[in-house]
Amino acid sequence: MTIPVFVHILYYKIVSFLKTTFDLRFVSIVRGVGSLLVFGGFAAGAYILANEITRYVLEQPKIGLFLFHRFISMMLFVFFVSVNLGNIIVSYATLYRSPEVAYLLTKPVAYPTIFVLKFLDNFLYSSTTLFLVAFMVLLGYGSYFGYPWYVMTCIMVLLLIPFMLLSACLAVLILMGLMKIAGKIGFRRVMTLLSGLYLLMVYLFFKFSNPIRLIEETARYYPNVDINLARLDPFFARFLPSHWLAEFLFFLSRGEVERGLPMALLLVLVTAAMVVVTLLVAHRFYYRSWLITFQVQAESNTPQKKDSVRFFDFRKNSILPAQIESLLKKEYFTFFREPGQWIHLGVMIVLITVFVSSIRGLNFILRVADLPALTYLVLFAFGGFLASSLSLRFVFPLTSLEGQSFWAIRSMPVKIGTYYVSKFLVGFLAVAILAVVVFWFSNAPFVRLTPTNRVLLWFGLFNAGMLSLTMSALNMGLGGYFANFQEKNPIRIASSQGATLTFLITLVYLIILVAIITVPITGHFDAIFYGRFFPPGRIMPPTLVLAAISVFLTTFGLVIGYRSLKRDF
Amino acid sequence: MIQLQSVTKKFGSFVAIDNLSLTVQAGEFFGFLGPNGAGKTTTIKMIAGLFTPTSGRILINGFDSVKNPLEAKQSLAYIPDQPFLYDKLTGREFLYFVGGLFRLSKEFLKEQIEKLIDHFEIGDWVDRRTEDYSQGMRQRITIVAALLHQPKVIVVDEPMVGLDPRSARIVLDTLKKQSREGVAVFMSTHSLPVAEELCDRIGIIKDGSLIFADTQDRLRSYKKQYDGKLESVFLELTK
Repeated sequence: MTIPVFVHILYYKIVSFLKTTFDLRFVSIVRGVGSLLVFGGFAAGAYILANEITRYVLEQPKIGLFLFHRFISMMLFVFFVSVNLGNIIVSYATLYRSPEVAYLLTKPVAYPTIFVLKFLDNFLYSSTTLFLVAFMVLLGYGSYFGYPWYVMTCIMVLLLIPFMLLSACLAVLILMGLMKIAGKIGFRRVMTLLSGLYLLMVYLFFKFSNPIRLIEETARYYPNVDINLARLDPFFARFLPSHWLAEFLFFLSRGEVERGLPMALLLVLVTAAMVVVTLLVAHRFYYRSWLITFQVQAESNTPQKKDSVRFFDFRKNSILPAQIESLLKKEYFTFFREPGQWIHLGVMIVLITVFVSSIRGLNFILRVADLPALTYLVLFAFGGFLASSLSLRFVFPLTSLEGQSFWAIRSMPVKIGTYYVSKFLVGFLAVAILAVVVFWFSNAPFVRLTPTNRVLLWFGLFNAGMLSLTMSALNMGLGGYFANFQEKNPIRIASSQGATLTFLITLVYLIILVAIITVPITGHFDAIFYGRFFPPGRIMPPTLVLAAISVFLTTFGLVIGYRSLKRDF
Repeated sequence: MIQLQSVTKKFGSFVAIDNLSLTVQAGEFFGFLGPNGAGKTTTIKMIAGLFTPTSGRILINGFDSVKNPLEAKQSLAYIPDQPFLYDKLTGREFLYFVGGLFRLSKEFLKEQIEKLIDHFEIGDWVDRRTEDYSQGMRQRITIVAALLHQPKVIVVDEPMVGLDPRSARIVLDTLKKQSREGVAVFMSTHSLPVAEELCDRIGIIKDGSLIFADTQDRLRSYKKQYDGKLESVFLELTK
């Protein structure tokens, strides 16, 4: 790799980034300040939440340092997989489909230089938000233990970044391997195989980690739950980077940093080794794998038979009005012919199914008054978070994905409203169906507590509808406002600055909703626990407040999106 | 018929089009020339409804492009200089998509598509996804899409980009035939020979202002003042 060329290109990429990021026009400054406030608020929220949760679990139920750090290990595992998957999907676009790569390949720039540039591009783009979230959560966690600033800095720089880098390196190695296999068995099969493998991995991890068994085993040692119970860890855990990091944090929290250092060192060394391996593999294989993608794409796109009529075929007559029919069919084909779209949706549906089937069997024994209410609120928040993530991933990019082809719709006799509503309904219905399923099943265990009283179930379903509507409307509207017609990758669109801002707004909305329902939900379960009557009418005022906020935000989202579509194209 | 009445377009403080007025009659072939950045594409995008004029108005067959956009676009065909298509659709699907937006019946569409893909020699490519198309093939599909609804007004921005000589000839002949059949054609081009060959009237725009607009006959006498070439007139006027 020729360093001067690398530095030269990097310099211009940084200049380009700075010029677009620090735009000094009035509108951009206002937008920037607004983003900063929302980001700042979210960062502060993440910090406070992490700090309070740490305080709560260690001081109220007193689960102990060991169990707490095993939970951290599980969260870090999910985080590792998220970074890994995110990097695989985004790096396919940045390493293989980017016009910049095609351009640089025609210039005297070494392949590894291009690889490193695009790898950095990919890593920074797909992992920055996750890093910021993890950073604030770790800060909140660390401040509970009173770690000084230099310890926190070391954890961030020497452990968190290598942890994420390791995940990203693994991602591109997997991707290059996949490209090689795709050259033989086709891209669609490879992606299906990969999705299956990841789901199997997550399933096996939680099956063998078995959090319930871990809690039961740890509880035997109560109240000495701060001791090291490493013998309870499954064998495979010692090979996981998430375990190394969690183990280091565990020993640090016990004041035995010297016992945790080998784990930290192991993480750093493995990351360094993985970076070297990635560079070596890229040196030998990146360009070849880049060529394979063209071959795979060409082979996958054979001409359709002229007379074969497919499901939802454009040539079939429909009961829908012609314009709506055309718009819906276009959405259908563009979605299901883009592997990044249907695979991601498929993975999310399978994860939802796993989640739904696992909570369906929850059985509450009313020994602790707060437990069902707390669990209900956590599940509610999760359902909302899911609706938010689905909307961000699938609704936010809808306008941007029209891309440069948007001229076709804009120059034809279609009302912007017709286009907008048909597009919004597609996104909203998809999110609403999934959210209703999640809310239905997450309410089921609680409904069993009071089989004759269905008010909670209806309340949950009403919330699911409201949440889906508001989340979809905000993402549709702000997705239009922050539309980037140059970007073709939906994941990059869904992780842009505008998307992150939208996500944070929806999270703030979700937190407000959780705060609104906390009092009636706690009252409801307290009444069951103490055998009192809970008048269903008490749920009405918070429902009305919730509905008012949702309607306001839905209108705001839809109006801002509609107006943005009238801008010059 | 296309009427631009005192049209101005500003982007912030930059005046891209300054008080532009012109009319293209039904059956007239109007060539729109000008150096790079003169305002040709901005003008065309305003006619097509992609940009809104800052002031003035544009009438397409008598319909205001801002007040009655749907009626205006119903008889309009726009062919952009960069023919971006929906990558994941096949050419045929794109044509049905466009036909649906114009509310054309499936039977009529089927007939039109078969006729036009044959005319533009698209062949089997029509059933391939457009992500595999060359620039020229994209341009051909875009032109077919523009002609599906038998427009009364055609606005075309640089029709020759990416076309091989044979395809270019088919496109130019088709546009000329359309104008002879009563369609108003507004064509922006950098190709002076093409403008001379096809256009009934030629306009030259510079820095957002129309500096010349006249018929071929008048242009011929004007050319005589130079060396008889349109290129010389163009270079002199846009100096």
